[in-house]
Amino acid sequence: MDLVANNLSYKPDDQYHLNEVSFNFREGNLYTILGRTLSGKTTLLKTIAGLLTPDSGEIEFDGKNFLKIPVWERNVAMVYQQFINYPHLNVFENIAFPLKQRKIDKSIIKEKVMDALKSVGLLGYENRKIQELSGGQQQRVSLARSLVKNAKILLLDEPLVNLDYKLREQLREEFKNLFSKGLADETILIYSTTDPRETMELNGEVIVLDEGKVLQVGPAKEIFENPNSLKVAEISNDPPMNIIEAKISDNQIRFEGVDVEAPQHLSKLTEDGLKIGLRSSDIELSENGHEFEVELAEISGSETLLHLKRGNTKIIVSIEEVLNFKIHDKVKINFKIDRAYAFHADGKLASSPFGDLNG
Amino acid sequence: MNFKHKYFFLFPGLFVLIGILIFPIIFVVRLSLSGWNSYNPGLDYIGLENYIRLFTDDPRFWESFFRLSFLSVTTVILQYVIGFALAHMVWKDIKFKRFFRVLFLVPMMTTPVIMTVIWRTFFHESLGPVNDLLSVFGVAPKWLTDPVIAKFTVIIVEVWQWTPFMFLLLLAGLLSLPKEPFLAAAIDGASPVRKFIYVTFPLMAPISIGAIIIRLIEASKIMDTVYVLTSGGPGTSTETSSFYIFIKGLREFQMGYAASMSFTYLIIMIISLTIIAKVLTKVLLKE
Repeated sequence: MDLVANNLSYKPDDQYHLNEVSFNFREGNLYTILGRTLSGKTTLLKTIAGLLTPDSGEIEFDGKNFLKIPVWERNVAMVYQQFINYPHLNVFENIAFPLKQRKIDKSIIKEKVMDALKSVGLLGYENRKIQELSGGQQQRVSLARSLVKNAKILLLDEPLVNLDYKLREQLREEFKNLFSKGLADETILIYSTTDPRETMELNGEVIVLDEGKVLQVGPAKEIFENPNSLKVAEISNDPPMNIIEAKISDNQIRFEGVDVEAPQHLSKLTEDGLKIGLRSSDIELSENGHEFEVELAEISGSETLLHLKRGNTKIIVSIEEVLNFKIHDKVKINFKIDRAYAFHADGKLASSPFGDLNG
Repeated sequence: MNFKHKYFFLFPGLFVLIGILIFPIIFVVRLSLSGWNSYNPGLDYIGLENYIRLFTDDPRFWESFFRLSFLSVTTVILQYVIGFALAHMVWKDIKFKRFFRVLFLVPMMTTPVIMTVIWRTFFHESLGPVNDLLSVFGVAPKWLTDPVIAKFTVIIVEVWQWTPFMFLLLLAGLLSLPKEPFLAAAIDGASPVRKFIYVTFPLMAPISIGAIIIRLIEASKIMDTVYVLTSGGPGTSTETSSFYIFIKGLREFQMGYAASMSFTYLIIMIISLTIIAKVLTKVLLKE
């Protein structure tokens, strides 16, 4: 049973929330919608759920016009970024809610709810009030509520974004396990996130969304290796990919007085306005490298992010250890230039270290 | 916190409390132990004579009390149901929402006594427009002079007058509800009707209890409507406790006896409203 959308558009004000979005989701697969905030992810999920009606376009599920079916008959489940539960019900009743909406035997409800509680690790909490739970536990309850009804379409709208770092890591791990073993084959799982790392870990089919438009569709690995444009490269990397305006001539990449020997996949690009893209992790500190000035050094977890500057060129370098730098310190860096991307002036990918796109 | 002058600053509030609440109650209790009437005005002491008379020799008081219970419970239930329906209607996005919200409040803004005079004219048996219309069907109910129908006339007028208050409280409650559970309920497969039963109504339970209690207290003091509409008649068939106390106290000037009735009435109301509040909390909040 496929979920197919054609040219979905939604424009409630002067901006597109969805702009001609089309997709073809097949059952048994995981789809990740990657985009920055306000890119239309939530709008898209709400449209699929039926909470929003698009201005134009169609959605078909199992060959039926989905837009004509009211929300409560669509058999979808949704987990929101805010932990939405029923404040007047306890944990058990919350999870049993979707089942009670159908005429299901009480003992079966109990069994299913207990199963769901077990799979999200909340056994023993069934009589607690929702308000007595922590944020992470509340989100687990709403996840359990969405799992218990065995919906054909499961929508997860940035489910981890409002959790603290530790919980996020932990739940993300649990999600991965749950998705890989627990879900029935006929479920379509749609997961939206702003976090490229989450996207890579979930390793599903990725839809990159920006300003309501689909920029690229493909497996996570492909999006990561071959982003088809500057925008996608920025969205699919955190910190965003470094973009350096450079010129290639005589087999040398030149910018701000730096000369780097061009790798083979870049050497033939001699056009004007070329932009070189390099991930922050593909730059390293090196004694005999090029000198840059430190603008800002931030330590996040076990890595250090260095914001560097040389002339008008600003780059970010991430280093896998905790280092202390002062502002205006001079550091020497080396580029792993064979991992560099090149983009045309209009933002399209010109060349990637992982081979040509048209190949 | 130890502050020398705290009693000085507490005094104004305490003074008002004593003046308007504690003194009148104590005075009523004292009055109820006296035989103050028009022949013998004065605070003499006759013991519990008034109370003995009330409990053994005055079925009219108890009849009026049970009539009052029937009237106030019925009107409040009707007000709650109609008020909730109207509030729910203008809570959703409908056309002319603002217009309806104001329209539904109009009865509350009118003066009850004047409106009751108008209602009395409405329900006049031979001259009123209601029976004029009903005569098309060949019926002419005795709205104000039939002992049974007159009760329902009182109910109609009370419901009309005070449903807006219920509407206002419930609308405020509905507007303050979180939106998220409704999103969740729709996705969880609840149709609009089930959404109301399983989400809207339980979420509204605390505010419903408050509104019902406030209206019960108000409704049990019903006096002006009865006074203007039927004067307790025909006979005593629409007489309520407060109206009967009014007759005994301010028409027949049996002040001592009226005071004993007032005090008894107050105690009964405090006890019964406490029980009602407990029961409502238990039923609606499941606590």
